[in-house]
Amino acid sequence: MAHIHLEDGAFTPFWLIVWNLLALAVMSVALYALKRQRAPPRRLAIASMCAAIGFAVFQIEVPTPVGPAHMNFTPLIGILVGPSLGSVVVLVVNIFSAAIGHGGWGMIGPNSLVNVTEVVIGYYMFRLLRSRLKRGHFWSGFGSTVTALTISPFLVVGIVGLSEIQGSSITRTETMNNMLVIAALNIATGVIEGVVTGYVVAFLGRIRPDLLAHALGPEPRRPEYAAAAGVG
Amino acid sequence: MTRRAYSSHVPDFRYVTYFAQTGSSIVHRMNPWTKLGLLFFVVALVTVILDLAPVVLLLGVVMLFYLAARLPLRVLIGWWSLPVLFVVSLSVLYVFTEPGTVVAGARIGDFSISVTDKGLILTATLLLKALAVVTFSLTVFMTTKYNHVVHMAYRALPKTLATVFLLSYRFIFETADEFSDILDAMHSRSGGLAKGLGRQTRTFAGIFGLGFVHAFERAEAISRAMEARGFTGDLPVTDRIGKPTLRGYALMGVAFVALALAVYARYFNGNLIGWW
Repeated sequence: MAHIHLEDGAFTPFWLIVWNLLALAVMSVALYALKRQRAPPRRLAIASMCAAIGFAVFQIEVPTPVGPAHMNFTPLIGILVGPSLGSVVVLVVNIFSAAIGHGGWGMIGPNSLVNVTEVVIGYYMFRLLRSRLKRGHFWSGFGSTVTALTISPFLVVGIVGLSEIQGSSITRTETMNNMLVIAALNIATGVIEGVVTGYVVAFLGRIRPDLLAHALGPEPRRPEYAAAAGVG
Repeated sequence: MTRRAYSSHVPDFRYVTYFAQTGSSIVHRMNPWTKLGLLFFVVALVTVILDLAPVVLLLGVVMLFYLAARLPLRVLIGWWSLPVLFVVSLSVLYVFTEPGTVVAGARIGDFSISVTDKGLILTATLLLKALAVVTFSLTVFMTTKYNHVVHMAYRALPKTLATVFLLSYRFIFETADEFSDILDAMHSRSGGLAKGLGRQTRTFAGIFGLGFVHAFERAEAISRAMEARGFTGDLPVTDRIGKPTLRGYALMGVAFVALALAVYARYFNGNLIGWW
């Protein structure tokens, strides 16, 4: 998955303000949408649990040859709670992460932009694959996650490349080239996360299909259950 | 108080909360708005300052603040591993590619790498900036009671965001235990994350899937219990915080002057000592 592992002081004040203002605009849209939807307490509780899980998974570092990587299940969060509440969830995860030094406070904005992208792409790709293209739970979860986590590393490269690291005389192009190594690693980790998410979605689809209802609408009743309930 | 976390390198929220709820140092008694204001100034200072020397000075001041809170130094050094790992793993690219005087180098066939002085200084500056912010941030969280966090969240954040933030804060302890159990189980079966992810993806998916389902069932149970007690999306604010004291305003005033000087030195005249 993609996450800008830069601490405070890496970006110039100008770019820090630009990315955080952009993130503020995105979050305002998400909060406005939530206000219109009037999210019930149950959805807020599930979203909060998603944030707690996301934060817990964030902290489990997977050692790789060029630095630490981790999963965060952002596309899965999008599938479970939708794009607007999912955006709030990733913001909360980024706030908690900044509190313990997993990305700086000033990076909450840029990181939220990256993670919101993953949430939104994950949600809509899952809907497309499952509802329109009639793929199975596993392939819908896998496809949506891999798509989201293949696009988001390039957003990270773009954000870091445009902002540059202050104090460094390395050019924008060189910074982007350096970052491409990390993007490739993130994409590889994204495939692993895609497989895990695929299995998790398949698992949830079998035993708790109601949790996927937000992305798909209610699952159709099986004929035998519908008959037993006298509604078939 | 027992400690239970993934490792000594990741800050344990249970431990953080324990210090916040039980401490009685001068920093614990400080107004939470003052601490939040100072955190803003620390972040702003590391963003504006480019030179190594003022960053060292800032880290020194932040360390004094941490010690004044009577918090354990050994724990902090363990928790520094996370930012150190991130900064070093990313800035290692800059150590080798930043133009400057070569300090050390190696040649393997046609391929050569060299470490430059500017690359090392840049890495050190980024590292010390990260440590200053992380230390201050942890100090704020380790000295501010949950009830005060609730009040500040409802005052500073939109209602939905504040509710999700505060509920997540409470759920973190549950999920941390859940994932600690998972990791314990994996280690007890001689599993490891490095080889485990490649080989045991299906097992991991089952574990995470089960973790998700457990977590959601717990969230639903908590939500039902809260709704039965009249929860409609707002958490009760039991403790209110007053305005910062005069000493608090004075501290923030000093921080503001430091920030103004840093901005002046960066954008107008770098020779502040000569100006003085």
